[in-house]
Amino acid sequence: MTGMAADRTLPWDWYRGTIPVNVTIAESAYVETTFSFLLFRSERADAVTIGEGASTYLGTMFDVGRQGRVTVGAYALVHGARIISEADVTIEDYALISWNVVLMDSYRVPFDPDTRREVVRRVPVARPRRIDPTVPARPVRIGRAAWIGFDSCILPGVSIGEGAVVGARSVVAADVEPFTIVAGNPARVVRRLTDEEIAHGC
Amino acid sequence: MPADGGAPGVAAAPASWSHGALPDNVKAGPGTAISGDVAFKRFRSRKAPGLVIGANCTMDGVQFAVGENGLVEIGDYCYFTNAVLLCELALHIGSYVVIGWNTTIADTDFHPIAPALRIADAVACSPLGQGRPRPPILQRAVVIEDDVWIGPNATILKGVRIGAGSFIEPGALVTKSIPPRSRVIGNPAEVAGRV
Repeated sequence: MTGMAADRTLPWDWYRGTIPVNVTIAESAYVETTFSFLLFRSERADAVTIGEGASTYLGTMFDVGRQGRVTVGAYALVHGARIISEADVTIEDYALISWNVVLMDSYRVPFDPDTRREVVRRVPVARPRRIDPTVPARPVRIGRAAWIGFDSCILPGVSIGEGAVVGARSVVAADVEPFTIVAGNPARVVRRLTDEEIAHGC
Repeated sequence: MPADGGAPGVAAAPASWSHGALPDNVKAGPGTAISGDVAFKRFRSRKAPGLVIGANCTMDGVQFAVGENGLVEIGDYCYFTNAVLLCELALHIGSYVVIGWNTTIADTDFHPIAPALRIADAVACSPLGQGRPRPPILQRAVVIEDDVWIGPNATILKGVRIGAGSFIEPGALVTKSIPPRSRVIGNPAEVAGRV
């Protein structure tokens, strides 16, 4: 070996992929498959960090652009989320993310259709074929011990507070206060957790 | 070079599918790339053609679930990621359209709304149905005009026309036609503004 580290693989993996060099996985964490990195193309040094005891299961896709970064906290459970990042998506400790959830810190394209056309026109010449973002990203945060129900979408700039619950199939476009249950599309507050519920918490 | 003077350097390579030759009744223009083993698993159109895709499109993991009488038409420079296109009649999609991950477009109700007819349909679809005909099922073509952006986890139902340039937010469930240049969110989807 002359300074080149061997490709890192997962012994249980069904997909013959490797773990990108700028991805850090804690020894006690479980990553089900390197297929999750099919769309990964971040150039940041700390592009993905998966913490102690955290797990990411099949269906989780790190769709992380050149300047994107995803941090998965300790004991966090990511069960098949599409994570679209051009800046920062932070999943804090003990957070639970259900299947088919979309976490996105960027739309990647402008709302204005005329300028969007120019972005879309460049997809077939990109290698790989992807949208290179032309709009500012707005970081997304999933707070400690928050719980995101299946099929939900968390839109750019949203911060979900500690211990909050997002009901299944919600679309969250605004920040969620800590210890609050939201649901719906667009999501609205259902109720705040009771003091007793909060006291039983972490 | 596309007739409209497209981006320089776009490959004039013939259309390709990552998993083999395109079905005979699929037409796709130069520079179009289709990937994913699921693309044609449920493509049963007997129309000629049953699927027409323009030039310089990128179809990553798209499922073309097209029934025997279905026709899907897609323009140029479209970019779809893991979308599910369910077509029994017709989907007309313009150019420069982007469709996000896990989004479903359907031009049919799949089954009748009346329970008695639905029972007849369940029998017709069953292995015990012995090929008896299915009852009539509502189908209405879907039209997505040029420059529309549809986010991930969205749903577009039968008979909907989405006007040019509209922006459909992630997770939106669209049941009614949308005027051009609208920003749309919710279930059921509502116009939240203009773009």
